[in-house]
Amino acid sequence: MISIAGLGKNFVSGDSAVAALQGINLEVGRGEFFVLLGPSGSGKTTLLRCVAGLEKPDDGEIALDGKPVFSRRRRLCAAPEQRGLGMVFQSYAIWPHLTVAENIGLVLTHGRARLSKQAAAERIRESLALVQLEDYENRPARLLSGGQQQRVALARALAVNSALLLMDEPLSNLDARLREEVRANIKKLATQLGSTVLYVTHDQIEAMVLADRIAVMARGEILQVGNPFELYRRPANALVAEFFGSINWIGGQMGDGPWVETEVGRLAVGDAGYAGAVVVGIRPEDVRLERAFNGGENRIEGKVARSTFLGDQIVTEVKLGEKTLLAKSPPDGGPFAEPITVHLPRERLVVFPERAARLAE
Amino acid sequence: MKGRGWAVGIAAAALIPVLGLLLLVLWMGFWQNGPGEPVVYTLGHYRKIFSDPFTYKTFLNTIGFAATAVLAALFFAVPTAWLVERTDLPGKNLILLLVTLGALLPTFFTAMGWVFLLHPRIGIVNRYLMDLFALDAAPLNIASIAGMGWVEGLGLSSIAFILVVATYRTMDPSLEEAARVHGLGILRTLRYVTLPLTFPGIIAAAIYVFTIALSAFEVPAIIGMSNKIFTFSTFIFYKIQPLEELPSYGVAGAVSTVLIVLALLLSWSYFRVLRFSHRYAVVTGKAYRPRLVELGAAGRTFAWLFLGFYFIVAKLLPFLLLVWAALLRYFQPPSRAALEQVSLNNFYGLPWKLLLQGAWNTVILMMTVPTITLLLCLAISWTVLRSGLRWRLVFDAVAFLPHAVPHLILAIAAMFATLFLLHNAFSLYGSLAILVFVYTVSRISFATRIINNSLAQIHPELEEAAFVGGLRLFQVMRKILVPLLKPALVYAWIWMALLCYRELTMASVLVTSQSNVTLPMIVWSLWLGGSLNQAAAANLVVLAFMLPAVLLYFVFARRNRIAEAA
Repeated sequence: MISIAGLGKNFVSGDSAVAALQGINLEVGRGEFFVLLGPSGSGKTTLLRCVAGLEKPDDGEIALDGKPVFSRRRRLCAAPEQRGLGMVFQSYAIWPHLTVAENIGLVLTHGRARLSKQAAAERIRESLALVQLEDYENRPARLLSGGQQQRVALARALAVNSALLLMDEPLSNLDARLREEVRANIKKLATQLGSTVLYVTHDQIEAMVLADRIAVMARGEILQVGNPFELYRRPANALVAEFFGSINWIGGQMGDGPWVETEVGRLAVGDAGYAGAVVVGIRPEDVRLERAFNGGENRIEGKVARSTFLGDQIVTEVKLGEKTLLAKSPPDGGPFAEPITVHLPRERLVVFPERAARLAE
Repeated sequence: MKGRGWAVGIAAAALIPVLGLLLLVLWMGFWQNGPGEPVVYTLGHYRKIFSDPFTYKTFLNTIGFAATAVLAALFFAVPTAWLVERTDLPGKNLILLLVTLGALLPTFFTAMGWVFLLHPRIGIVNRYLMDLFALDAAPLNIASIAGMGWVEGLGLSSIAFILVVATYRTMDPSLEEAARVHGLGILRTLRYVTLPLTFPGIIAAAIYVFTIALSAFEVPAIIGMSNKIFTFSTFIFYKIQPLEELPSYGVAGAVSTVLIVLALLLSWSYFRVLRFSHRYAVVTGKAYRPRLVELGAAGRTFAWLFLGFYFIVAKLLPFLLLVWAALLRYFQPPSRAALEQVSLNNFYGLPWKLLLQGAWNTVILMMTVPTITLLLCLAISWTVLRSGLRWRLVFDAVAFLPHAVPHLILAIAAMFATLFLLHNAFSLYGSLAILVFVYTVSRISFATRIINNSLAQIHPELEEAAFVGGLRLFQVMRKILVPLLKPALVYAWIWMALLCYRELTMASVLVTSQSNVTLPMIVWSLWLGGSLNQAAAANLVVLAFMLPAVLLYFVFARRNRIAEAA
């Protein structure tokens, strides 16, 4: 549905050019819910705006549904109105001088479809029904609450019956409770209508709830594309690992076999395929704490610095010599006390070259 | 806070003259006798002006003049603002700077240029058209309501532009992007989204320009008065400085009062409309630039033609005409015969001693007025925003009055006071001090507004930390507020200095001797005396004197990107 190849975009600020996007390649399938995830300044919004035609890339190609809409080589750049899209903006972009129905009607009667008044009225009712705003047709849009505006924006984007929906952080201006509700509704509607969705967010929970696949972005590049499980369990690099939840890092040297000589001792790892300085990472919930001295692979004697019972889990800071690790354990048995053994299961360890990990900081 | 009393006191001392001058005008309107006689009150002046058909003719003239000015100003301002804010036209910074600077070019300057261009008897264009089509009468007449409105509108287009640009800036660009993405083309987006959303802002700009034009003095004085076409401002002026009869302060006071009421009503509706337009303003906090409309080759050519036309009629043409006029003894259209008469005699013949005196006085005004105004307005702004005083909003309202009340009327009130009320105590009549006083009063609104805007951006805790540390208010102002406000203060200072430089309206009433003559006044007296070509030469000299100040503004604007702040 979306194919992007070699996309590049620079922003000129003052005398220097900042690369907002570099060498982006991406394929999004029909009917897929695809999320662009990254911190602010990662280029995710710029990428979305390039697809919408609101930003003109400097290099590369974009095709929508097989039709090229941008190509530097062929000096092609279709205007936004020629691309046949639906879009939800972060600020909702609800026209304050029009009513709810007129906000949707304008794009139906004067947009690509050029529907008649009657046909438009029909479609307006349908799309407002999708977002449960049937009774608000004649309400001036500027009198709506934030949540209602968000729903009108969604209804407007759905009303044009576009095969592709773009969403730029549509939930970031809602309060937490409403956000969960609307999130569920967006997912439901997208599945029900079979639309392809390109969705930008900086919230990894939102991304995991919504996405079929996620592209993690940073500094204008795509770091990894995959489904939520892959990204969490098999991050391609330290940055992706850090972006999805917290992780403990332990520095060390790759040994002659599948182990790393670390600051806390020798740790057996899977075959990492690196040599030299590396970092070993493990998520807090994978750190096993055992209430006795035990021997065995990747088991180290530790000291409890602080252990806090939180009801659904126990959060513990353990010291392995100078190194402090964070562990999250099931709540049985209450807070931990000495003596304690820290078990770092081999299959839960991830290993990256040290240089790449430094970049992440 | 130690020193609060001082600040409030200074603010009050600055604002009492504003109220005083206003009350004086009201009082004047009820005063039957001439000066020096016992005071008798009457409603006769009001009865007279409301029963005189000439008043109604003047009223219609003024409305027609102001309305034409609004149309002309918006005709240039709205497309220019759209081109600068929403398209990919190159060279925007230059356009922005040129147009902003245009607000400083004296209106009497362009007005004279247009007389040479379109006057029914001497205007070049008329002479050419008459020769070309063998006409008996001039087809175009600048000495008409429409002609004067056109010239005034050209002058006010800069201010209209600044206001309309602000409207575009406060509008969330994604409102337009949403239209584009959902299939509306450029023109439909303009028609259904951009224009309706900016409409209240444009209406507000129209009201603002209309208010200024309503009491504008320079254009009607330069073009209209010698052709016996009066607007309210020239009518009032004529009543206090008539050619044949005795001055009639009573009638001037009555007409002024009517004009003040009109201006206050307009200012009130301006704020109403502005508040309405702010309902459409969305601050997203997202800093990406709006998608710029790509003009394409044809669109770009059209845009440059439009901007070129604007620049030529508003600035270049009047300037060239003045240069041409300044080189001739008698004005005539360019021809071989005329070329042979070109000389610098007009420049040699200028009253240089007077010009130097005028330059000296003008420099003094440019140094003192902005400085005093800023010091006073710092106290006013602090009182309004920080003192926590119960009456602070009254201070704010009074500080706004000099904007709404025509400056000509402020000057007349001050002149009246110096001539008949204070003449035993101080001899201010015909002094430079009275100019400093009235200029300062007239700029209080402008300076307060700029300082208010800046001060509102500074967190009060920055000052509170200093108070807690034991500094007194005066020290807090000197050590904390003034340094933080510096860009705004410098900007306001330069702008006010340039406005002082070009000020003719208030000077026309208050300059009564050689000792307080200013440069624009010399140009105007030459013009009124019928030496049009000498006046043109003097105008060029005055403009040359102005250059260093303008350069200063350029440098400062460059450094602070002031065009954006404005």
